[in-house]
Amino acid sequence: MKKHFQEKFFDFLVDNGIENFVGVPDSTLKQFISTGIKKKKIVISTREEEAIGITAGMALSNSKSLVFMQNAGFANSLSTITSLIQLYEIPIIFLIGWRGFLKNDAPEHKKIGKIQPKLIKNLGLTSKIISEKNWKESSIWALKMNENNKSCALIIRREFLD
Amino acid sequence: MIEKNAIEEIAKMIKDEIIISANGFISRNLYDVGDSNSNFYMIGSMGLASSIGLGIALKNPGRKIFVFDGDGNILMNLGSLTTIGTLKPKNLIHVVFDNSKHASTGGQPTNSKFIKIENIAKECGYRFAFKVKNKEEMKNMIRKVMKLTGPIMILIKIKNGGKIRGRMEISPIELKKRFMKHLE
Repeated sequence: MKKHFQEKFFDFLVDNGIENFVGVPDSTLKQFISTGIKKKKIVISTREEEAIGITAGMALSNSKSLVFMQNAGFANSLSTITSLIQLYEIPIIFLIGWRGFLKNDAPEHKKIGKIQPKLIKNLGLTSKIISEKNWKESSIWALKMNENNKSCALIIRREFLD
Repeated sequence: MIEKNAIEEIAKMIKDEIIISANGFISRNLYDVGDSNSNFYMIGSMGLASSIGLGIALKNPGRKIFVFDGDGNILMNLGSLTTIGTLKPKNLIHVVFDNSKHASTGGQPTNSKFIKIENIAKECGYRFAFKVKNKEEMKNMIRKVMKLTGPIMILIKIKNGGKIRGRMEISPIELKKRFMKHLE
């Protein structure tokens, strides 16, 4: 997703009531995060589980929250998702950067990139892959899930190499 | 001082202030001796009591938020001290019940005997960090911190003992609902 779309995506979520953005940076989400930093709306945590804990506290306070991370951090977070977010049914939106989507991505991302769709499915975390074409309707879907007290995930593919 | 008594004393003193309690014996003891709609009991997600407490503190600046943590719990999420120390929520009081043990899994040792968690918190930017060793010191400290600006850590050296009750009868979703209602 190019810069321009990531900025619009961030602003759209803010305009539609998301008050908190907490997470660990990912280069796939670079412009999304820097837009939020400029607007002083981002909290950077030390680990993804910590970010989920903080957003859970915010969501319990009736404040709409999104947690962002790379899929490596998503793998770190499995137990927090099952034993906090799903156990108590706390509505937060996950935004996950999909490293290893390209077959020739860096070696450390290949395995997790490959098993990620199955992991998300087995967790029972409903998700949508967002693109420059569908980001708006996918955001509306996620906001609706959030409104109905359900957690869900938006996935951004890493479509470039560096 | 045994943990259960320490928890009972503090719960009595702070009445209906918000408490986020860590998983394991801490939540089970609090449920047993000081249940209230203002408590959020963690069951799983070990290590995250201070993070959940931070999120609640940031969104409820007019209320005091207590975190009842354990040494094993905070050692799993030391990064949390840096985030709390940086964001500096004035209303967060982080109580660590330190028995140098993973009590609920069979009393295996933690490293807290060899390090000073309260000093780490201070270095990470907590406005105050104290250590107390007995009931009298603890009660005086609770009175004192009610007037101070956070984030504050109180590390309480405790021992295990007393009867640990069975698991909570309330479902996690019910616990969440009543807590959220109280927060409104």
